[in-house]
Amino acid sequence: MNFTFLNAAFLFGALAALLQLIIHLFSRRRVETVDFSSLRFLRELERRKIRRVRIRQILLLVVRSLIILFVALALARPTLSGALAGGRSHARTSVAIVLDESGSMARDGARGTLLDEAIAVAARVVDLLDEGDQAFLVTCAAPPRSVLAGGTFSRGTLVESLDELEPTAAATEYADAVRLGLELLDGARNLNRELYLVGDMQRSGWTGPVLTAGGSGSRGSDGAGGSDGERASSGKRAADGGPSAYVFPLEGPVGNLFISDVATERRYGGTAGRIAVTAQVKNGSRRRAKVPVRLFVDGVQVGRSGVDLSPGEHGTAQFSVALDESAWHSGWAELPDDALEIDNRRYFVVPPRLTTEVLIVQADGELDRGDAYYTELALDPSGNAERFSPSVVPLSDLIAQDQGRFPAVVLADVGRLDAGASAWLARHVETGGGLVIILGDRTDVRAWNEGEVPGSSVLVLREPFEREAGVRLAPASRGHPLTDGLVVGERLIDDIAVTRGFAADLEGGEEILEFPGIGPALTVARGPGGEHAGEVAVLLTAIDPHWNDLPRSGFLVPLLHRIVREVSGGAARRGDVLVGEGLEVILADGAAGRIEVTLPDGTTATPEHRAGSRAVVALAAATLPGIHTFSMNGTVVALGVVNVDPVESDLSPADPQEIGRHLEGIAHRFIDPSGDIGAGILEARHGRELWRLFVYGALALLAFEMYLARQRTG
Amino acid sequence: MPDESYRRFLDPTVVSKLATMELRARLVVEGFVTGLHKSPYKGFSVEFAEHRQYMPGDPLKHIDGKVYGKTDRFYVKEYEEETNLRGYVLLDASASMAYSSEGISKLEYSRYLAAALVYLMLKQQDSVGLLVFDQEIREFLPPRAHPRQLHVLLSALAAAAPSSSTDIGLVIHDLARRMRKRGLVILISDLLDDPADILPGLKHFRHMRHEVVVFHVLDPRETEFDFDVDATFRDMETGELMTTEPFSIRGDYRNAVRDWMTMLRRECAESRIDYVPVLTSTPYDRALFSYLEKRKRLG
Repeated sequence: MNFTFLNAAFLFGALAALLQLIIHLFSRRRVETVDFSSLRFLRELERRKIRRVRIRQILLLVVRSLIILFVALALARPTLSGALAGGRSHARTSVAIVLDESGSMARDGARGTLLDEAIAVAARVVDLLDEGDQAFLVTCAAPPRSVLAGGTFSRGTLVESLDELEPTAAATEYADAVRLGLELLDGARNLNRELYLVGDMQRSGWTGPVLTAGGSGSRGSDGAGGSDGERASSGKRAADGGPSAYVFPLEGPVGNLFISDVATERRYGGTAGRIAVTAQVKNGSRRRAKVPVRLFVDGVQVGRSGVDLSPGEHGTAQFSVALDESAWHSGWAELPDDALEIDNRRYFVVPPRLTTEVLIVQADGELDRGDAYYTELALDPSGNAERFSPSVVPLSDLIAQDQGRFPAVVLADVGRLDAGASAWLARHVETGGGLVIILGDRTDVRAWNEGEVPGSSVLVLREPFEREAGVRLAPASRGHPLTDGLVVGERLIDDIAVTRGFAADLEGGEEILEFPGIGPALTVARGPGGEHAGEVAVLLTAIDPHWNDLPRSGFLVPLLHRIVREVSGGAARRGDVLVGEGLEVILADGAAGRIEVTLPDGTTATPEHRAGSRAVVALAAATLPGIHTFSMNGTVVALGVVNVDPVESDLSPADPQEIGRHLEGIAHRFIDPSGDIGAGILEARHGRELWRLFVYGALALLAFEMYLARQRTG
Repeated sequence: MPDESYRRFLDPTVVSKLATMELRARLVVEGFVTGLHKSPYKGFSVEFAEHRQYMPGDPLKHIDGKVYGKTDRFYVKEYEEETNLRGYVLLDASASMAYSSEGISKLEYSRYLAAALVYLMLKQQDSVGLLVFDQEIREFLPPRAHPRQLHVLLSALAAAAPSSSTDIGLVIHDLARRMRKRGLVILISDLLDDPADILPGLKHFRHMRHEVVVFHVLDPRETEFDFDVDATFRDMETGELMTTEPFSIRGDYRNAVRDWMTMLRRECAESRIDYVPVLTSTPYDRALFSYLEKRKRLG
């Protein structure tokens, strides 16, 4: 049995009853003293009447206090739940059903898929709603969303919405979904508010406590309806106000093998035209597994490889395929069916070999083999413009260049910028162009720190440094795409001794390489101009034999290639795009025209064009894993790939203690979905609202009070 | 048509504003007498009795000239002997007599009433005495008919002030033992004492063949108990405190007072004692009428 108040604030009104008592006692002390000739008759009455009057006075006081108390209690809307409540009567309630329809819910449970079971549980919750109850439906797959805007008072509408739910390929975001549910309940009509969380309670779906401000730890976007901060605060309010959460953990098979990544790499030299494909497979089951991995390219199986994995172990399957380098190719690596199908196939695309035009700006009058020379040489060693087509111009000619032509501009130790050059570069970055800045002899520290160069504000230069013995260039962060394959252990694949450089403090962006004990050596940051601005990379040492070993090292070529590719392609090409995330592709030749996207299920969509020096088209949120074909006038201009978040493939459930920690601050209880759900819900949820009883009680007391008061004049 | 204007002299609140006790007594009595048109009591103390034939030695001034003119014989007027009544005015000056809800207190009212009675009796050549008491006799002035007696009595009345509690029975018994000659006893009191003590005392007077008039003086609020708000009541004689809701017990209180007064009236009637309840808001003539009724019976 549980006794709760829906409007607990009105309980303060009960203090008025005490107030009356205080007034009564106070007035008793202040009663007037009157001289009277004789108390003879009063003494006689005292024996039989006055005592009765005093009792009636006390009775009146008690009755009046009870009236106030009852009114306060009625306004506070007490609700009795549990066995003693009896019946089906309950307080009008607003419920938020937070239902997990993420990829993992597609696996089989005891009665159909887990999603089917979840919908059945939700339908049972709906059955127990009464007239006047309000319901919201929130989905957990990233990004969580409210299915019924503003909620519904119709059970039919709610059931229809539940029936329309289908498993997605997106990862679970329980914390964000619960926050969204709490936010919806915060604005709900009924004061009794409850949240029902139904899902497989995947451990990987819990990225942090629900009531942590800012939603830290959240993987996905903030989804519909407000920022994380707002949700967090709403959650805190909810915790204060007392929405109750009921958790239905569904159980399904947890053994799962999945492909967590597929990497493609062009091979050069004697194997030109061949692509190396590496599929990473993880055994998420509790048994050793020997499974075949099949590789498909352009819809045709081109390879097969076996992996033998212990429980929890990662393994790789490697393939080498010959492809036409002038065309787009797509494919996937595939595992046999197991507990979860959606992660048995992982897609990839292989873009055609393209040439990127790069503008290298050198200082006016530069004649020596300086930074611009080595940069040009590194970007196009053969002079055939296979990957990059560099153009070297003096600084004074910069403003005459066509701004939309170059996806990337390299400032090779150009020194001070005049206003025109500075404005040209600012516009270039603002419209999405990439910028690589190589510092050197001509760098003016003060001018830099005053913000002369676009994107310089994230890096505060201190002073140049010189080390006779040189410092070893080192990776600052592991696993960054820019250094992927260029790092062995804690070191670069080649020792680069730096004798001169700039000490600096990084105030934004990412530190890719560092001068150990001094500061950043290579940084990448989003340039000024908003989220669609280009990236700015800064190399804090010149490409000059007097500064370091870079001109003499084979390390320079892949490093510069990756830097330029990074800033000219940006985040759109970094890593896999996961279901639920936005998908961006850069058109090969900046072609303009109406672009159409064919989704993996054969339907089409129109992507958004983004203005800038690069021709970028984007889908706001990809919902299906697979190959997205971008075409213009029937011609394929780009392929985009969307994969399942491998996090979703970890099917191990969180235990109740873990869930409890994530729901800390929210009153919650677990209900076994395999038991009698209705009884469980009724026991936990339903209660009898008692305000009418208190109103009737107050009226009865009022009548009694009037009767007593009339007796006074008798 | 009776002239009602005299009543303004009998209004207790008007009388209480006059300067001296004597003036107040005179105004009360004269106001009362003025109002009595064709009063049957006019000149009763020098009442003509009969004519008889003149005998040598009779004072010549008593020869009735009118009869001689009609009959040519000498007749003298004979008058009834003067009553020579001995009156005792007993004034209760206990603390409870100081109670006043508005206007004048019971003691003040009683003093004016006593003064009027004394004035009236002395004017009729009766001898009048005064006894002021509370729980004991505080002042006793034996009856006199001397003209200076009025001043003495009025001075004593003026000096009467409320003091302690009452013990009427003790005082009455004490006085009854002192009074040897038959007389008229006028008790002016609120009788807020145990009736079991009071009534035997009054009967003691009757046993001694005294005529007794009891003026039961009460404040209207003592009978009505019309207090509006809760109050703590303090007994003016004992200092005892009691808090109550007057409006809750008003009805019972009134009934108790009515029963008490009814009992007193009945007991007095059984003993042929004149019981005259008077409220301090009542003009004095009611009290004076009662006195005169008694005098008529004494005739």
